[in-house]
Amino acid sequence: MFTNTLAVDLNLYIPIGLLVVMALVFVVANLAMTHLLGPSSSGPIKDTTYESGMNPIGTARKRFNVRFYILAMTFLVFDVEIIFLYPWAVTFSKLTPQSPDAALFLGRIMFFIATSIIAYIYAWRKGVFRWD
Amino acid sequence: MPEFVTPQLIASVTVIVVMIHIILIGALYLVLLERKLSAYAQDRLGPNRVGPMGLFQPIADAIKLLLKEDYIPKRADRILFLLAPGLTIIPAFIAFAVIPWAGTLEIFGEKVKIVGADVNIGIIYLIAVTSLGVYGVALGGWASNNKYSFLGGLRATAQMISYEIPMGLAVLALILTAGTIRPGEMIAQQLEGQWYIIHQPIAALLFYICMLAETNRLPFDLAEAESELVGGWHTEYSDSMKWALFFAGEYAHIITGSAFFTVMFLGGWSISPVGLWPDLPIVGGIGLILLQFGIVMAKVFALICLTMLVRWTVPRFRYDQLMRLAWEGMIPTALLVLLVTSFVVFMGWTSQMWLASIATVGIIWVVRPMLPKQANPNHKLELLGSRFSPKTHEALTTSPVEPQGLDPVVASDA
Repeated sequence: MFTNTLAVDLNLYIPIGLLVVMALVFVVANLAMTHLLGPSSSGPIKDTTYESGMNPIGTARKRFNVRFYILAMTFLVFDVEIIFLYPWAVTFSKLTPQSPDAALFLGRIMFFIATSIIAYIYAWRKGVFRWD
Repeated sequence: MPEFVTPQLIASVTVIVVMIHIILIGALYLVLLERKLSAYAQDRLGPNRVGPMGLFQPIADAIKLLLKEDYIPKRADRILFLLAPGLTIIPAFIAFAVIPWAGTLEIFGEKVKIVGADVNIGIIYLIAVTSLGVYGVALGGWASNNKYSFLGGLRATAQMISYEIPMGLAVLALILTAGTIRPGEMIAQQLEGQWYIIHQPIAALLFYICMLAETNRLPFDLAEAESELVGGWHTEYSDSMKWALFFAGEYAHIITGSAFFTVMFLGGWSISPVGLWPDLPIVGGIGLILLQFGIVMAKVFALICLTMLVRWTVPRFRYDQLMRLAWEGMIPTALLVLLVTSFVVFMGWTSQMWLASIATVGIIWVVRPMLPKQANPNHKLELLGSRFSPKTHEALTTSPVEPQGLDPVVASDA
């Protein structure tokens, strides 16, 4: 049973592979052509980092606000949750409405969503989404 | 001939080759369209010197961009700096592979679908590939070794990942309605019934807003932020071709996103939004296929024009407003849409899904005032002498007619 559903027709992915190759060739060809065709010059002022005309102070490899990091972690929680919901959404909409199976599916996924809603409310009260 | 060369594969490869050219040339000409529309919005003429109505402007631009210097800043990380434009443009170019541009062509006794790759994970492929675009921005900002680029890249990354969540949830609500993740089947269902924008208007709106944010269009172009970060993550991309690749990727992303929206919410080549009159068939000869393709392209073009007009209608957000809109506005709304949709699907009322949307708006209307109030970051400071937010109980009054403090110059002083 599962061999049928899991057997992927890999021939369908040949055009995607071709597309990736075409996009790669496009990018590499463009960069190579502009490298060959364009002029080239350098100088001490041209090589400095742009900082609105001032002499650059230090590097840009600095510590940054921790909010971006917390936000990325919160995003990760939600994104993984959404990925888990895709197969559920496809299966759930094919079940008989109001059947015990459907109720079980709905209840389980509601619990799953509720856990992340709790995390979401916690993050909200913690001020993760406040940027002012 | 090897056995994997089926008629479908030949058709798919043809579609891919044709579409990548349409998207590449389209990306060039969208720049002209954008400049023209911007000009009309501001009562100007726009580019009109190169060719009739400026039609050769994109070609001239492309040649100019190609002949400019290829330059990598000395302080930059060379490999990542070169990698970033590619990582932006490649996902934008490979995403459209699963979008059906027309129905099934019946030719030489064979039936072939006019789609690059009719894979069974269609929508997930689209979401996954388009969200890869964030790497180009993040790496470009980091590799430049410039403080403006670094901050712009960070902001753009945070913005793009934030708007991915409501986008995913809106698509989930749609998948619950459709019961499939194959774009072709979605179009087939919309041909029989109504467009999904009628079933799921809130999800459609959320998706469209997220599409604007994902492509860094105004009002969400905080990533570029000309007024505060000089250009954001592409400040150091002063050479032309790598910069052009970034923007070609952005325009290709807009085309793909609009096509995605067309397939999911506007019924592909469907011409009857509420199913009142019979629709075009799926299978047909070359004439029908071209007609379907034209309808899809017309819808995509209309969406792109809407995207460009939004740019001149809505002012840019401030960064905290942007984040609040994503996390405190759109994610709860999208979650609510998802919950209401799953309840409706459980009850089997899918044909009355539009009523659920009205119920969702009602729930938001009722619940919104009950949420705890937070400090308003938009409050105005009371300023002495201000005409807009004067200090309360302020004795000093000013008026534009008789400005105080600007005493007329006494003649004896002159």
